[in-house]
Amino acid sequence: MSNVPKEAIEVIAQSIGITNLSPDVALALAPDVEYRVREIMQEAIKCMRHSRRTVLTTDDVDSALNLRNVEPICGFASRDALRFKKAAGHKDLFYIDDKDVEFKEVLESPLPKAPLDTSVTSHWLAIEGIQPAIPENASIEAPSDGKKAEYKEDGLSVDVKLPIKHVLSRELQLYFDKIVDITMNKSVSILFKQALLSLATDSGLHPLVPYFTCFIADEVARNLNNFPLMFALMRVARSLLQNEHLHIEPYLHQLMPSIITCLVAKRLGNKFTENHWELRNFAAKLVASICKRFGHVYHNLQPRVTRTLLHAFLDPTKTFPQHYGAIQGLAALGPSVVRLLILPNLEAYLQLLEPEIKRHEAWCVYGALLRAAGLCMYDRLKMFPSLLAPPTRPVWKSNNKVATNKRKASTDTLMQQQPPAKKIATESAIGGSNIGVSSMSRPLSNDNMLGREVGGRVSKTSTVLAQAWKEDTDPGNLLASLFELFGESMLSFTPKPELSFFL
Amino acid sequence: MENMQAVNSFVAAYLKKKGFKEAEQLLEDLQKESAPIDFHNDPDLAKFIHHFSQSEDDVARYQDGYSKLRSWTYSSLDLYKHELLRVLYPVFIHSFMDLVAKGHLQEARTFFNAFHEDHELMHSRDLQKLEGVLSQSHLEEMEFARSLRQNKVNIKICQYSYGLLLQYLHKTQSTAMLGVINEHINFQVTSGQPGSISDDTEVVTLIGSCQDAASLINQKEIHWGLLEDSLEERLEKEGGLLSDSEKAEAENKEGDVDDSKKRSVEGGKQGASTKKLKKDKAVNATAKSARPEAKPTPAAPRVKPELTLPVMSTEVEQSILEDLRNRVQLSSVALPSVSFYTFLNTHNGLNCSSISQDGSLVAGGFSDSSLKVWDMAKLGQQAGSSTLQGENDSTSSEHVAGPNGVKRSYTLFQGHSGPVYSATFSPLGDFILSSSADTTIRLWSTKLNANLVCYKGHNYPVWDVQFSPVGHYFASSSHDRTARIWSMDRIQPLRIMAGHLSDVDCVQWHANCNYIATGSSDRTVRLWDVQSGECVRIFIGHRSMILSLAMSPDGRYMASGDEDGTIMMWDLSSGQCVTPLMGHTSCVWSLAFSCEGTVLASGSADCTVKLWDVKTSTKAPKNEEKSGNPNRLRSLKTLATKSSPVYSLRFSRRNLLFAAGVLSKNV
Repeated sequence: MSNVPKEAIEVIAQSIGITNLSPDVALALAPDVEYRVREIMQEAIKCMRHSRRTVLTTDDVDSALNLRNVEPICGFASRDALRFKKAAGHKDLFYIDDKDVEFKEVLESPLPKAPLDTSVTSHWLAIEGIQPAIPENASIEAPSDGKKAEYKEDGLSVDVKLPIKHVLSRELQLYFDKIVDITMNKSVSILFKQALLSLATDSGLHPLVPYFTCFIADEVARNLNNFPLMFALMRVARSLLQNEHLHIEPYLHQLMPSIITCLVAKRLGNKFTENHWELRNFAAKLVASICKRFGHVYHNLQPRVTRTLLHAFLDPTKTFPQHYGAIQGLAALGPSVVRLLILPNLEAYLQLLEPEIKRHEAWCVYGALLRAAGLCMYDRLKMFPSLLAPPTRPVWKSNNKVATNKRKASTDTLMQQQPPAKKIATESAIGGSNIGVSSMSRPLSNDNMLGREVGGRVSKTSTVLAQAWKEDTDPGNLLASLFELFGESMLSFTPKPELSFFL
Repeated sequence: MENMQAVNSFVAAYLKKKGFKEAEQLLEDLQKESAPIDFHNDPDLAKFIHHFSQSEDDVARYQDGYSKLRSWTYSSLDLYKHELLRVLYPVFIHSFMDLVAKGHLQEARTFFNAFHEDHELMHSRDLQKLEGVLSQSHLEEMEFARSLRQNKVNIKICQYSYGLLLQYLHKTQSTAMLGVINEHINFQVTSGQPGSISDDTEVVTLIGSCQDAASLINQKEIHWGLLEDSLEERLEKEGGLLSDSEKAEAENKEGDVDDSKKRSVEGGKQGASTKKLKKDKAVNATAKSARPEAKPTPAAPRVKPELTLPVMSTEVEQSILEDLRNRVQLSSVALPSVSFYTFLNTHNGLNCSSISQDGSLVAGGFSDSSLKVWDMAKLGQQAGSSTLQGENDSTSSEHVAGPNGVKRSYTLFQGHSGPVYSATFSPLGDFILSSSADTTIRLWSTKLNANLVCYKGHNYPVWDVQFSPVGHYFASSSHDRTARIWSMDRIQPLRIMAGHLSDVDCVQWHANCNYIATGSSDRTVRLWDVQSGECVRIFIGHRSMILSLAMSPDGRYMASGDEDGTIMMWDLSSGQCVTPLMGHTSCVWSLAFSCEGTVLASGSADCTVKLWDVKTSTKAPKNEEKSGNPNRLRSLKTLATKSSPVYSLRFSRRNLLFAAGVLSKNV
């Protein structure tokens, strides 16, 4: 009948040592207990109001008890809200999680920081009725339509000054609606291509930029498994970014998450047939172009993007498509990023990849890695074409002797570059570490040929790769290590004239 | 006729059963005379019959009767519906209480749960209270329930609706409902058209006798005019006499007066940081041009003070006159500037705040029993931008050092032994009063930084304390259901105002110091004569506890704000609500009228300061109702703070609005 069940009364009675409480008493007490509790809570609400609060605290209940000359309840003085936990096995039973605290711990723990002292600051909330746009003031929102309607009902002359609101012309609204419609429904038509062209070239679209960014962000969030739409949206984004007349920087923060989503989302589209790899490539290019264009304006733009991507890349729990996207994204950011972030982790990653290599997805990731590493390689070789001078040292002869098949031979040819590299390194007197590296790669190549000490080789290879970020790392070493990891497919990335040296 | 036959036979059967032979005989005789009694229109008889049948299956009859009455009411004609709906609520609560009183607790609960939603909108607070009633003893114990039981509800109803209702009750023979209605409702049948939906404020408070008393009290005469010979008046005269050239001269003098004012009277505390003064002036400059045309409305009637008022020193007078001259004229098109004081790191401990007349001092009352006062002029100094250096020489030495030698930014006043619930500055800013849960009021000096007097008199926590507009006197209100008037030099109260039915939550002085207004948890506002201590007005209409009051400077209107966020504007002379003011969504902690009474500012727990146009509403007479509510107060502007509930508001004499609030995370 009452909200306090008689069982509760019985439990309380037991807890204070009354064991032989008759059920009648409990039944009679229950409603009265509820009445008293309600009374006290009503007093507590008064105390809360007079403390100018809208949240009832234990202090208020204590003051209410005080008003009634009842002993306050001790033990609930803590300022933060009590945490009720659900009792296992019961639907509506909760208890307060009251942890035992060791005295010793309390005594030994350092004193908590002294709370900051109360202070008062002043600012202008309004100057002649207008709120200045300073950080102390809340941001102004446009008044809702309901409010305006209310004013109109009054029939009073209203001179409420609305916050400045830019007005979209009818034409622009139509344009926007049309573009949205085409993007949503006809993303394969010629019309869409023309729309993209218009977006990329029209100069008067600036008022629409916030709407478009918003539209893209919303739709991407909503339609992750609608592959064609996602692709269309990315195209729209690219067109917007291409348009030189648009001042899109302020909206990048809205746009970036959507693009990154298209890059490293777990699933894009819901059919296997849909080529989400392509979308990821596209998004990667988009990210790269954004970083390139706005990197100097937002200094933390690229670091943030790379951090996100690197996280995706290094997290083994993520799926292969996600890894693929991350690798593509990083690769698109340029060879230096690849050298800095991918190559040091390449070795470990390939080991992870190896057992799965039969799967199509893993193969794609492998391809992406290969391309990334190769392009990086290519870039290095382009920079130092002189490095690939013909071999001169006699050591190569011995190596050649050992070589038995074509692959091994090509390995050897690869190795030829080492001595010159060493020479150049020493000549340019860049540093001891380089010498160390290049001298290490010699036993390394031997190991390879003999097919022994795999572990040692791995560690050495990864040392080379870990060094790869340094500007002065000679590409020869790099090539060697990469070759070990990828085999001869790496060779296709060497520039043709240089390659001729090996063949 | 058939109906009557049935009733007669029922009665006869009953009499036989009980063995009342004489009565039976009598009844038969009566029937033989074939002169049927018109007991349809005889409430006594109806009640009589009702009592006979009471014993059997009560519960079902209440349950059924009410639900039928309800559906009948809801399906009645729209024209009469709202009048009939008014009947439902009293019937509902009394049916509920009847059930409780008869011991059908379980059934009472189900009855309550089944129908309480209908009334939730209008009477949520009452229902909350009643919901807890679970036994007969509670009914007697709870004051609210007792007064409901003892008094009849007055309901205004038009002839036709009344006829409809009676017809229905008789036709359906729902005697339980008839009984409830007879017992607890007093119909005031009016001829003519049914009343409009809007004027059902009376329904809010149900206690009939209270209403009668209220209307009686509200007939008393009050003199809401301003004091004779007030400074404003003098200024007006002066302004009339001064020719333009003289005015210019006066303005040239301004600078000198300014300086002397700051040095002498307020002992250096006066100067709000110069920035602000400058701002004030700058604002002034724009307003001044428009001023000569905008003469204030014809002067309000003047009254003589009933209290002996403290004498004002000439310097103070000068400075006030100066302020008045430089006042910005506010209106719906010229809104005030608002300076906002934000309390930081209060750890949920700030209970109240108060701002001195010139905005230079800010006080905060804390739940740890302390009172802290910040000197805003000094705060500016610490920040480094001090142009006031020279003028503040006298005060700069008295920086307050904490016990560890750590420099505090405020003056700490300790003395209370319970949460401080209210603080108020004297008009000149040299004293502060604070009231606390320890039932005392303490007077502090801001010059000496010390406690001067402890006023003991209340028996329960003192919720509010307010200095009178002239200083010296102050009023307090308490949980003990009284408001008291004190003077600074006596430790006993001068007057005790008793009459509220619940806590007196807030108190405010009338502009002429002859009256105080109190707002209470019984959801009424009362106006008391300070001299006689009598209640002269009761304002009924709020639906929840009243938290803030403000008096218009012309003394004619009063605004009150409640827990639900409703603000009501009252006409003191008629005791009627001019207009309710909807807009806030949470407790209205503070209200303030601008100095010439054109703008009302309200600060609320919903983190906004709202500005309302007072002139539109007060000028439009109430009978002019052509398009719904033309006379509703108009919200001019909503100023949102950054998650800081607004605790207090104060217009300076120059019409700069100061607001204080606490930055809170959980809002």
